[in-house]
Amino acid sequence: MDITCETQGPVCIMRVISDRIDAAIAIQFKDMFRDMVACVTGPVVLDLGQVTFLDSSGLGAVVAARKLLGADRTLELAGLNPAVEKVMQLTRMNTVFLIHPNRDAALAAHGVAPAA
Amino acid sequence: MEITATRDQVSRALTQLNQQLIGLGLDPDALIRMELVLAEALNNIVEHAYCDAGHGNIALEASVHSNTIWCHLTDSGRPMPGGKLPPARRYDLGALDVQDLPEGGFGWGLIHDLTSSLIYDRSGAQNRLTLTIDLDC
Repeated sequence: MDITCETQGPVCIMRVISDRIDAAIAIQFKDMFRDMVACVTGPVVLDLGQVTFLDSSGLGAVVAARKLLGADRTLELAGLNPAVEKVMQLTRMNTVFLIHPNRDAALAAHGVAPAA
Repeated sequence: MEITATRDQVSRALTQLNQQLIGLGLDPDALIRMELVLAEALNNIVEHAYCDAGHGNIALEASVHSNTIWCHLTDSGRPMPGGKLPPARRYDLGALDVQDLPEGGFGWGLIHDLTSSLIYDRSGAQNRLTLTIDLDC
């Protein structure tokens, strides 16, 4: 698993490079996210476009990531695949996170035009 | 299939099972529900029945008939607390501050929500969990 970080205008896009965020890598995800957000300010968008499976441990790690940013910053999600969306709906975590259809939509919501 | 009770092996087994069942042409949404339920049930066994000891076996049998996926899980770990299935835990997320959001406790809620039947019994030194997932719902 890896996480890439890209700053676009005011937003930091963190893309998860893994097919799964499950119990096997939840702790690794949380640790990696913690190290990476230490160097950025402002809102963070977690691009889950590559992630096709999230279990409750993975969800717990995403919630932990949200808490790491504190109440003053936001963690938004983008690019939820059907299995990820199902977990978010069933646990009602879709009411806690702002969710964008994809990375470009997330950037547009922050006033960053997509690359031509 | 036989799975060694670690999170890595559970992850690997689920990926493998999903690929086999996609090959059978089963409904993708049913497979999502099955994988999620099995991930929760198997990781509960790893964590609670076997206390994260890094060993122990879990037997998983899956079959499809009568428009239903049947899964049987057997392990030789500790019994369920009180000898019965834990209830689903529900949170009122809207009432919570960011720092109070739950990072766990979703597993049994997901299992109860996504299964059409769920039976647990303790037989000798074994836990047996039988669960069904409807193919169309």
